[in-house]
Amino acid sequence: MSNLNQAMVEKYRNSFLQEVQANVEEGDWVKMCMQCGVCAGSCPMGPYWEHPPQEIFMMIRAGKREEVLSSDSMWMCTSCYNCIARCPRGLPITHIMHGLAHYADRLGLAPKEQPTRKFANKFWDNLTKKGRVNELKLGLALYFMNGFFEGIKVALANQKLGLNMLKAKRMSIAEMFGGHGVKDSNGLHAILKKAREIELAKADEFKG
Amino acid sequence: MADIIATNETILVVGGGISGMTAALEAAEYGKQIILVEKNPSVGGRVSQLYKYFPKLCHPTCGQEINQRRIKANPNIRMMTMTEVTSVSGEEGNYSVTLTSQPRYVNENCTACGDCGDVVEAEFDDDYNYGLGKRKGVYLPHKMAYPQRYVLDPQIVGTPDATKAAEACKYGAIDLDMQEETNTITVGAIIWATGWKPYDANKIQPYGYDRIQNVITSVEFERLSDPHGPTGGKILRPSDGKEAKDIAFIQCAGSRDQNYLKHCSRICCMASLKQTTYVRERYGDEGKASIYYIDIRAIDRIDDFYQKVQADENVHFIKSKVANIVEDKASGNPVLRGVDTEGYNRYENPHELVVLAVGMEPSVPAGDFPVTVKVNEHGFIEQDESNGAIFAAGCSADALDVNRAVQSATASALRAIQVVNRVAGTEG
Amino acid sequence: MADEIKIGAYICQGCGIGDRVDTAQMAQVAQRDAKASIAREHEFLCNAEGVKMIQDDIDNEGVNRVAIVACSRRAKTEAFNFQNVAITRGNIREGVIWVRPDTDEARETTQDMADDYTRMAVAECKYIGVPDNSEEAQYNRTIMVVGGGISGMTAATEAAKAGYPVHLIEKTGALGGAAAKSWKRIPQKSPYRDLEDTGVAELISEIEASDKITVHLNSTLTKTSGAPGRFSADITTESGSTTTENFGAIIQASGYSEYDANQLPELGYGKSPNVVTQAELDAMALEANGGPIKTKDGKDINSVAFVQCAGQRSEKEGHLSYCSGHCCMSSVKQAMYFKDQNPAVDTNVIYTDLRMPGAGGEDFYRGGQEKGVTFTKGSVSEVVTSGSELEVKFKDLILNEDTSEKVDLVVLATGQVANSGLNIDEVGQDEPGEWQSNPESILNLSYRQGKDMPQLTKGFNDSHFICFPYETRRTGIYACGPVRRPMDMQQAIEDAAGATMKAIQAVENAGKGRAAHPRAGDLSYPIFRREGCTQCKRCTVECPFGAIDEDEQRFPQFNEARCRRCGTCMGACPVRVISFENYSVDSVGQQLKIVDIPDEFEEKPRILALACENDAYPALDMAAMNKVEYSAFVRIIPIRCLGSTNLIWITDALNSGYDGVVLMGCQKGENYQCHFVRGSEIAHVRMSKVDDTLQSLSLEPERVSVHEVAITDIERAPQIINEMAETIENIGMSPFKF
Repeated sequence: MSNLNQAMVEKYRNSFLQEVQANVEEGDWVKMCMQCGVCAGSCPMGPYWEHPPQEIFMMIRAGKREEVLSSDSMWMCTSCYNCIARCPRGLPITHIMHGLAHYADRLGLAPKEQPTRKFANKFWDNLTKKGRVNELKLGLALYFMNGFFEGIKVALANQKLGLNMLKAKRMSIAEMFGGHGVKDSNGLHAILKKAREIELAKADEFKG
Repeated sequence: MADIIATNETILVVGGGISGMTAALEAAEYGKQIILVEKNPSVGGRVSQLYKYFPKLCHPTCGQEINQRRIKANPNIRMMTMTEVTSVSGEEGNYSVTLTSQPRYVNENCTACGDCGDVVEAEFDDDYNYGLGKRKGVYLPHKMAYPQRYVLDPQIVGTPDATKAAEACKYGAIDLDMQEETNTITVGAIIWATGWKPYDANKIQPYGYDRIQNVITSVEFERLSDPHGPTGGKILRPSDGKEAKDIAFIQCAGSRDQNYLKHCSRICCMASLKQTTYVRERYGDEGKASIYYIDIRAIDRIDDFYQKVQADENVHFIKSKVANIVEDKASGNPVLRGVDTEGYNRYENPHELVVLAVGMEPSVPAGDFPVTVKVNEHGFIEQDESNGAIFAAGCSADALDVNRAVQSATASALRAIQVVNRVAGTEG
Repeated sequence: MADEIKIGAYICQGCGIGDRVDTAQMAQVAQRDAKASIAREHEFLCNAEGVKMIQDDIDNEGVNRVAIVACSRRAKTEAFNFQNVAITRGNIREGVIWVRPDTDEARETTQDMADDYTRMAVAECKYIGVPDNSEEAQYNRTIMVVGGGISGMTAATEAAKAGYPVHLIEKTGALGGAAAKSWKRIPQKSPYRDLEDTGVAELISEIEASDKITVHLNSTLTKTSGAPGRFSADITTESGSTTTENFGAIIQASGYSEYDANQLPELGYGKSPNVVTQAELDAMALEANGGPIKTKDGKDINSVAFVQCAGQRSEKEGHLSYCSGHCCMSSVKQAMYFKDQNPAVDTNVIYTDLRMPGAGGEDFYRGGQEKGVTFTKGSVSEVVTSGSELEVKFKDLILNEDTSEKVDLVVLATGQVANSGLNIDEVGQDEPGEWQSNPESILNLSYRQGKDMPQLTKGFNDSHFICFPYETRRTGIYACGPVRRPMDMQQAIEDAAGATMKAIQAVENAGKGRAAHPRAGDLSYPIFRREGCTQCKRCTVECPFGAIDEDEQRFPQFNEARCRRCGTCMGACPVRVISFENYSVDSVGQQLKIVDIPDEFEEKPRILALACENDAYPALDMAAMNKVEYSAFVRIIPIRCLGSTNLIWITDALNSGYDGVVLMGCQKGENYQCHFVRGSEIAHVRMSKVDDTLQSLSLEPERVSVHEVAITDIERAPQIINEMAETIENIGMSPFKF
């Protein structure tokens, strides 16, 4: 169990709902759900969810901390905003899902092999290096995410797409070597470092 | 109409639906002078468009008959149809009210014999049947219409139809020269009973009311089930005129939803439970009903009606706000998609007909009152001292069922009487 | 009426009547057969000229009975509205020409119908008069309110505001009732989010300040007698002293008792002091007075579970089968007691259907959620009490699993049980002269039918009518608040205002001798020929409104102001000594007797149809508007209520050669639609004995049929008539044609 996770368990022994309200982006909205289920029915990824949003909200209220945070359900969200548009109570469900996923990740409880999570991490790593996404490297990283042979297979399948992107100058071979970035990448790193410090300070606070 | 006699001891009742009629009658039977104004050509309001009432499954016309007879027998009530309140000034105990009456083009000579209707050709959507049928350019709004007097649609004025109608009338009842009239009267108190309207289902985009023929509203379903309705009581679905035996009811269609109406409309659960009995009454064991709901609000002692419907094997309850509806092109069946939240079951259910239990919206939008009254964010008039002697009755005050609307109307009659009794100095 | 009867018959030729039937012949029939003094035809009777013709006869010719032979009695009432004369209607338009084909073959039978309806209208005229005020009418403006809770206090202040003196009777030593034992109330104004003061203190000070309201504390009613306008009540204090006061009307606001939670041991009640009812929690909140609510042994409360529908909506033995309406809202209110004081307290409402209706309800639900009240759709099976710890076991219906929650306090949302006094179906009245007040009774009425108001269902004194929520079966006594129907405070306040309206209206009408709903304004009253009475008590027993008592000599005592003029007593009376000025055994009997009965060789049978004027008759009218045809052999007489049907009408009809009799009343039974409650049902019972009459006349039982007809039966009502015509064709004509 990560330190942060342990700290949170200690702090919110009795109420996972309160933990979510305090720590999850837009988590304060969870209590407003009235269990109508329109979000669950409206999600285009619906059939792939183990627990649809409304059920996750109920699980949060029921204190099912482990189950919720280790669930891969909220990682299914594709940000289509159907649920938000239809929710009769105006819950920002998309944001709550991302908030929960992020929180689970921070606590180290997110499922390790969850592809969205993996993609998100790779995307983040790729982006934060130079402040710009390196499409070529990101693409390759994703192709080979699940092993070398799988990577070759996916790469071959997407050969045409890749060539077209090269032709249309949407991607450049030169990206392999360095690639483009923001003007002041040191500044960017400084910003990110500061943000991280703030986050950790918050986490320390919880420990205390 | 020059002979309207009203004083500051007179009570004005605005709206001639069940609430307005009740308020007018209770005050008149107490002994007060009443002016009852109704926008439409006949009184009765929304309830006259219902087939049955819950939970007794009795017929609204039954109570209407009694109320009409009470009006006929009571000299204290002056009824004005096709009339609206256009302005109100003054204060508690002394209001000056302007009433504007639209021409009916048919005078009191009318015997409702129907000769005019027989010769007129033009037809229009029948509002009484929510546009599900047609009516003539000269018409009696419905069989129970009171006053029992025909109406000539202004759209045919100036056409040969109007002349034909006038010529067909042996009694000189058609008067094409009638004009809009304005009267200013003095009253001591006002009972506001303008009621409700069904929420516009076109606004509920995911349910496809505007594009799927076999998605209808609960008020339309009342007309389809009524033997007096456009189908003679057969539940014929709009797309192909076939009898619909497997019917879905979607609760909170427009209610309890901040995208539409924020409030709970109270009546819809009981109304849908009632409508399942129409399906069973007509088709016996072949009739199937499914209710998609969030909470079944069968409040207080009428919960037993819910229990009775629940015991019916052909009625299914699915705790779910339906996500969306698509049409199966081949069969014309609407297909409902969503998640049954009791245990998380995804469904994609075709039904032959879908009935949206549409919410109750106050008839008069908050900004359109001809007088300043305290209106809450849902559009209902709140009881407040700042309203002076303007008292809301029935669905002007809240989303209410008929029984509660009548109760509210009776209470509002008392409040109006308190004011005019004070004015009259009879409080002893 | 002392004046000589002078009948004018007026026959309209309009609406096609003149084209279809010979109105001159009808005029002749009116004078020759039915003895009208004057008979006139008019081409358009309801226009100003036609009406003037009639009025002129009234003014100049001394006509005091008017038979309008034109359209249905439901049409053109504004035109045919003559003062101080008796008016009858012969229905030629809806009753004849609109239901018969315009063919040569049909002409003769159509004319027969028109002639008969003319005769009948004139004959009826002869036997009805213009009702006069009764001498019994009394005017007493004082309103008695029974019950000093929120409903009763509201009723008292509302009546006072309308200018009426009030006596407010309260059983306990203080006003306020259940509301006074509450800390706060559910909000009644937008934004419906924050709790409001109960308003009890304001009401009490308003009552104390009013010079119109007299309060009787520690008092109950030990005897209530009389009728609207002249009620008399013995008000007895706890110490036994009695005062007698007179009243015009009564409002019963006796409220509710909380369901006995001891019947819910599975929910831990009685096993742990920390399992409480909603009422008990309100008492705890009052004690806390805005501070933290503590357990009974003084401990902090960190978590609360509210168990909805505790012992309610359940068919289990000892449970309430109904929903009490307010409890969902009340639990949210009570959860806010905790949340407003300390947001860290966990409050969970476990419900199956959350019932918070209307504009305020949904806002309040949202308000609760915003304050952090949580809601779980679940059904509670058990509350386990071990030591100070409580464990609520329930099935979470969303997560579909059996689970449990440990809490410091469990609040049971138990229901409301109506304080409606005695169930008069089970507890009969004392015999005359043997009166004893019953401490269980609320009103202690001296009425022959029992000491309290009849209960509608589940112990509530509600009205059965959706359109007429205050129409109880005791004229001038109106129930309001939770004794009428389960409800919350806001509804009770509205309800009390409505009941007050009815009470002051009853007072005014009683003072003028006018009937109450549904024949509001009717000035007639039962006239009783005492010397013919056999004291059979049928009228007393059958009156749907308990209007009739027995005097010391055991004769019926009619209590006119309690009477609703349905005529059930008149129908019940085997010796026909009860009548009304405008409705009697004769006013109907003479109509059916004056019908021309052709001899059997003419092959024109006659069917008598007695149709309830409230539902069956309008249904036939609307059938006519739709041009639904029915047999030309029927003669329809509208009656006030099927309950007013006297067997003599059937016997007379059969004796005088009618071939069949059809009776049409309203739906009876549990979902009755009869406007006089039991009229239709009583008539059905009465008619079940008609077989004896038929047997004694050696007639087939099929010749008389009784039906329940709804106002929407526009196809069925004509069909019933046609079926009788077919029956007669099958079994043959009556042998009683002379």
